This record gives sequence, structure tokens and C-alpha cells, in this order.
Amino acid sequence: MIFAALLQLLLLIALMVSAYLAIKFKDLLNCVIALGIFSFLLSLEFYILQAPDVAIAEAGIGAGLTTAIFILAIRSTSRWEVEE
Amino acid sequence: MRNALLAISLLIVFASLLYVAINPGDFGAATGEHLVFGEPKYSDMDDYFIHNGQNQTGANNIVTSIVFDYRGFDTLGEASVLFTAVLGTGVALRLLRRDRK
Amino acid sequence: MMSKIVRTQASFLYTLILIFGFYIVAHGHLTPGGGFQGGAVIATGIALIVVAYKFENIKGWVKKSMLTTAESIGLLAFIITGISGIGVSFFYNWLANSGLLFGRVVHYGINPGYINTAGTLPIMNLAVGIEVLGGLGVIIMYFLHYAKEVK
Repeated sequence: MIFAALLQLLLLIALMVSAYLAIKFKDLLNCVIALGIFSFLLSLEFYILQAPDVAIAEAGIGAGLTTAIFILAIRSTSRWEVEE
Repeated sequence: MRNALLAISLLIVFASLLYVAINPGDFGAATGEHLVFGEPKYSDMDDYFIHNGQNQTGANNIVTSIVFDYRGFDTLGEASVLFTAVLGTGVALRLLRRDRK
Repeated sequence: MMSKIVRTQASFLYTLILIFGFYIVAHGHLTPGGGFQGGAVIATGIALIVVAYKFENIKGWVKKSMLTTAESIGLLAFIITGISGIGVSFFYNWLANSGLLFGRVVHYGINPGYINTAGTLPIMNLAVGIEVLGGLGVIIMYFLHYAKEVK
């Protein structure tokens, strides 16, 4: 019981850290990878909360397809964030 | 200044969410019914699906039997929404391609 | 095009991801998952190949017309399966517990999970899986085409 609560606390802290890193990086490819990690940890959280259907959908779309589309977009534009 | 305001508003939202998570409160206290979090008052529909879904549709996965059989119209709408989204993407990109020439 | 490490790994993982996606679609009425989730997993495999390789290589492997055809056929098969039970009502599960294809009788309680059950549900799962795979794959192919034209 205490182990599950500790695991969930650790997961939520990791979620916040990855979400912060996704907006803080200057290299956009790193941002996309951080966003993929965020989606993967979110799907793990759904699985712990006993919703395996939602977890599979989140892992497939959030961590797989969105990352691929962002990488395709970065490939045809610039890789570095430009300061105004 | 702007960053400090942002931080303070985020802290207020975080504190209220934490308060609700620690102390879920007493649902239905105004009407005199004391409901527990996670145990709804009316659960006839859920009980019907759980007890009769396996006999009627033959599927072990109750979620699939609800999504594709009992609530088939919802899935039809979802599928047509996806179809229309792909159609819209194709039309938009084709228009952009014609502009480029 | 990515580095050689990414390309080797993508061509190895591609088949595994596709097999896992089709497993999710085929066992949608027994285990968690179903048509939409399985189709999304298969589309992830296609996206992996598209990201890892160059446009000239992909053009021969993944055909856009094939994906659009899969999408249309999936939606059509879903609607036709729904209409096939019109004798009682729309979306009526007339194959369940009938002894025909996917018609094994199931009673309330724990069972090992036979794949020959659940009537029209496996057919609908397959139809929706094909539709989602075609739809999400064709969106990625559109993005790839347009990104190539811009560059």
C-alpha cells in the first residue's frame, strides 16, 4: 500500500519535471523527446489507476504518433528555438 | 512582476487542488444524504451491464461490448469524425499546394 | 533521414509493433484494447518507418492510395456490419450465442477466454482497426509529402 502510494508520488513528480523540461529546452528535438516521456509516464499513471484501455490509447497516440508528427515538422523547419 | 503574479496564481490553483485531493468532502450534505467518494447513488445501469453483458454479447471485455454493441451509435460517430478529419487535412494541404505553384 | 543506429532499430522493431497491434485488434473482445487502440499502435509502426527513412525510400514501401483505400473499406465494413442486424434493430448483435461464426455460447462468470465468441464484435473491431490505421497513416503521409515540397 505504502509502495503504491510512493510510486504514484514519484510518477507525478516525474510528470511535472518532464512537462517543465518540455517548455524549457532550446533544442526543439529535446522538447519533443521530453513531451514523449510525458505521454509515456501519463500512460503508466493510467495503468496504475486501472484503466488499461486509456493507457494503450495514450501510449499509441501520445508517445508514438504525436512525436513522429513533431519530428517531421522539425525536419522541414529549423531545429533551434529563435529568441525574438 | 509578471512572473511573480504567474507563480502566485499557480500556487493558489495547486493549493486548492491539494486541498480537494486530501479532503474530498461530504457529497450531498445539503440534502441530508451522505455519499462516499467512488460509490454513486444510482448504479442500476452499471449493474445491468456487468451481470448481463457476458450472457448477451458473449464478450469477456465489458468495455468492448458497451462501445461496439450497446452504444454502437457513439462508435459510428467517432469513426465518421476521424474520416472527416482526414478528409479535411487532405483538402487543406491540397489547397496549399495549389497556392505554391 | 536519421542515423544508421535509428534505421537499423526501426527496421527491426517495425514487425514487432505491427504484430502487437494486430494482436490487440484480434483480441479486442477478450483483453483490454480494441479497434481504435490497435489501429493507433499499427499507425505508430508506420510512423516509425516514415521518420527513420528518406522520402525516396518510403515512396515504394508505403502507398498513400493503399492507406486511403483501407480507411474507406474499414468505415464501409463497419456500417455494413451495423446494418446487417437491421431485422431486429440497427447494431443488433445477431451472431452472438448462435453457434455460427464467432457464435460460441458464453455464460456469466470466469472463463478462459475463447476467441470464437462475441458475434459481430470481432468483425467490428477489425473494421475499426483498419479504418484507424488508414486514417492516422494517411495523415502522416500527407505531412511527409507537404514537408518534402516545402524543403
